Amino acid sequence: MLSVLVEDGSNTLTKVAGMIRRRGFHVRAITVGPSGEPGRSRMTLQIDAGHAEVDQVRKQLERLVEVVEIEDLTEHAVHRRELVVARVAASAVPELVAKGARVLESGSVSTTIEFAGEGDEVGAFVEELRRHGNLDVVRSGPVVMRRTA
Amino acid sequence: MLLEALEQEGVDLIFGYPGGANLPIYQRLPDHPKLRHILVRHEQGAAHMADGYARACGRPGVVFATSGPGALNLVTGLCTAYMDSVPMIAITGQVNSTQVGRDAFQESDVIGATASVTKHSYLVTHISQLPRVVHEAFHIATTGRPGPVLIDICKDVQMAEAEPIARERVNIPGYHLNGHVNLDSAQIAAAALANAEQPVILAGHGVLLSHAEQALLDLAEKAGVPVGTTLLGIGGFPVNHPLSLHMTGFMGTGWCLKAVQNADVLMMVGMRVDDRVTARLEDFAPKVKTFIHVDIDGSEMGKNVRPHIELVADARNALEAILPHIDSVHEGRGAWLTQIDAWREEHPLRYTHSNGHLQPQDVLIDMYKRCRNEAVVVADVGQNQIWAALWWNYDRPGLFINSGGAGTMGFALPAAIGAKFARPDLDVWCVAGEGGFVMTAQELSVAVEHQLDIKIVLLNNFSLGMVRQFQDDFYGGVRSQVELTHIPDFVKLADAYGLPGVRVDKLADVGPAMDAAQRTKGPFLIDFRIDPEANVYPIVPLGKSLNDFWEAPVGV
Repeated sequence: MLSVLVEDGSNTLTKVAGMIRRRGFHVRAITVGPSGEPGRSRMTLQIDAGHAEVDQVRKQLERLVEVVEIEDLTEHAVHRRELVVARVAASAVPELVAKGARVLESGSVSTTIEFAGEGDEVGAFVEELRRHGNLDVVRSGPVVMRRTA
Repeated sequence: MLLEALEQEGVDLIFGYPGGANLPIYQRLPDHPKLRHILVRHEQGAAHMADGYARACGRPGVVFATSGPGALNLVTGLCTAYMDSVPMIAITGQVNSTQVGRDAFQESDVIGATASVTKHSYLVTHISQLPRVVHEAFHIATTGRPGPVLIDICKDVQMAEAEPIARERVNIPGYHLNGHVNLDSAQIAAAALANAEQPVILAGHGVLLSHAEQALLDLAEKAGVPVGTTLLGIGGFPVNHPLSLHMTGFMGTGWCLKAVQNADVLMMVGMRVDDRVTARLEDFAPKVKTFIHVDIDGSEMGKNVRPHIELVADARNALEAILPHIDSVHEGRGAWLTQIDAWREEHPLRYTHSNGHLQPQDVLIDMYKRCRNEAVVVADVGQNQIWAALWWNYDRPGLFINSGGAGTMGFALPAAIGAKFARPDLDVWCVAGEGGFVMTAQELSVAVEHQLDIKIVLLNNFSLGMVRQFQDDFYGGVRSQVELTHIPDFVKLADAYGLPGVRVDKLADVGPAMDAAQRTKGPFLIDFRIDPEANVYPIVPLGKSLNDFWEAPVGV
């Protein structure tokens, strides 16, 4: 799991994605959003190194001029949060709310809910949705921050 | 604006080709007499010329091309420079910024197409970006591990005016340089080298790029360690030195491969340790207890071979930091060097003499006699390249230029032209096979136009020799699409371009032809009709380990 600070630019995402493909790595998860610094974005990347050594991913990212800073969080205790938004049948809502979901919009046919949690919790929640025969589900991909304690 | 910035960067030579999307730049070029422009005949030629120029003098080569096909014709040349870490600035015209993305005439996504073969690239859509971008590009191309940087400039930007900015220290937050040596690691590396019983140093292109030749020689002599070089490291260590192992890798010398495979400590300096160096990776240097890797690019550490001691630093700084920590060396060193001498005797370079054909090695041995340890030799790709590498015989460091990483056929002639522009004081020899030569032969016009003193040694075997050898040895002997039965009469071709040329097909005529070439001012071509069955030896069969090298048949 890598937290990567990048320069905003029309070519940044292509460069990162292109490098990952060219080196034979695979993207398991990717999220991008504005960082606290103007003109820079924060990418959270979960990358499988393929046949290369694991540290090659960080080293190859470091070579990109667009990449300002990388933190490898793989060995660290982290908050790994992810957001799920789903449309479910109204009948399923009480049980899902009991598990921590929040209602965004109630309609006559379906209800839209959201759920945010740690990585495993999100996995379990999505399983739960499937059990209830959810109508539609989208996941944000993870954002990660190192724990302070 | 662009041209002022180039002058600020000290550029004096540009290889280029005009077209619709860079006409504003060319309109102003005559106002800048300090910027000498060489009109090439194909953009690929421009890129290789800039490459040869940079390798020969160390300054970045500069290329101009127009948008679309012009820029895309640079791709092979950029890749060649990128693989071999050669500093280059490619400036391409792009359609107007308002036209980008509309599939305008001669529009192509040059940034996208070249992303994986450039160290960095810029699309300039507004004049305000341009002054900063030019200085950043030169900084990135020439520092750290050098490489090509492309600047794609929209046509409307080329026509806009801007004040040049001072060439102040550029600040690029995402660009980090690894110049400093970790002194603890240097000390540990020195101890490992000194205490080794059977150490070997392998040296790559990084030694030449960082001008570490003297530091390498000093360290090798003080620590009594034999030195082999990669194909691109040739020139970094005098090959006639008693500690020289000459070239390593899957077409390296037998005594070097023996040394690598029996070494207990292996120091790899300024090299990528690629598959051509290791052959089968699992069997590479199997007895090594301590790998030491020196490279300025941290991503090379463990990319192919995991080192025990890492020095992410400039090769020269690292070697100079190691040197003072070498005191006494292991007592077994004498025996190790004796063993290497025995391997040198046992596995000499040899070639066929007695089949009546002219042998390429005879040609090259004659050529190297005339080089007197200082001429620039530029080789193409294929058998000619390896023969030229193996028979290189300088008593001191020197310039041997070839496309090692990319293996680009057609490289030699334009690169030799670039090298001659960079070093007019030195003789330049261009060694090529006929297959690669015809790929960029149009650049002969440039050599003739500027009366460049380049001697072209064509090793003509009427076939794609290296491919033919691989087919014979590793692909069931099926000769498929390797015969070049219809190639030009090269003497007539030379004549058509306006340079003298002669044909040589027997040994007795080699010397007189070479004499004529050297007597003649300007370019000269010799079409050497060599043994069509001549092979490169030693060679490690594909997929095998370095232990399994084949040698030239004995006694033929």
